[in-house]
Amino acid sequence: MTDEQIWAAVHSAVKEALGVEDDEVTPEATLMDDLGAESIDLLDILFRLERKVGVKIKAADLSAHIQGDIPEGDFGDDDGVVTDAALAQLKRVMPQIDTERLAGTLQAQNVIKLFSVQNLADLVQTRAAAPPAR
Amino acid sequence: MPLPLRLADLRFGVGIDVVSAGRVSRLISEHPGALEEMFTPTEVAYAATRRMRSRHLAARFAAKEAVLKAFGTGLGARMRWHDVEILNEPLGRPVVHLSGEVEALATRRGVTAVEVSLSHGEDLAFAHALVVSDARASGFPGPSIARRRGGRRCAST
Repeated sequence: MTDEQIWAAVHSAVKEALGVEDDEVTPEATLMDDLGAESIDLLDILFRLERKVGVKIKAADLSAHIQGDIPEGDFGDDDGVVTDAALAQLKRVMPQIDTERLAGTLQAQNVIKLFSVQNLADLVQTRAAAPPAR
Repeated sequence: MPLPLRLADLRFGVGIDVVSAGRVSRLISEHPGALEEMFTPTEVAYAATRRMRSRHLAARFAAKEAVLKAFGTGLGARMRWHDVEILNEPLGRPVVHLSGEVEALATRRGVTAVEVSLSHGEDLAFAHALVVSDARASGFPGPSIARRRGGRRCAST
């Protein structure tokens, strides 16, 4: 699938699941903070994407993608603030984030709120390009 | 013989969630496989015996979310919705059964209790969860009962 096809599928899945306007679903819009998605909405989006592009992404896959290889215990410090290593990982999957501004303040439980429509499209692109599991 | 548990050794996590029963109903009807992915067979069977199935499923989904919020992780990597299963005692009290990655997390964190309370109105279902951990068991300090500014902890008892 081309990037354009994936973007179109992600755009329509987000728009349909959240009931928002076309022009609200921009690449920069964050799913939760900007578009108001809750956990059940993320599920809806992922189910729609599976139908549209044939790529199965579970909610936990989203977390795994964001967390990368950082062990759960190393993602946040004692106060739940994202560690420097975790912040570097977040920058890889969410290049739009301002790590300087977020350093020392970003709570691990708020990381998902930074996930944008483009980040989702990138994840779909990655999964679509991956060889099927044997 | 284990040392007595002190209040200062306890860590508490709370979570709350609200879910529209209509939303859950639409999700399940529009996406084959959603019911199986979100709920265990026992949860599905319980809701099927109730007059308003979608309300009970919504309450259970809200409970799963509330528990995961109480853990501070949300649905983390390798976790499944089935890992947090809401069962009922004979007289109806909901109890939480953990498995998989969530159970492993609970073990690492020294969790000693997970409690939920559910309610539902015409369309909305609510759940409140409390997770109690013994910080001595895991070395995971987590949020303490009282904390002074600057990150130093106060003794709470």
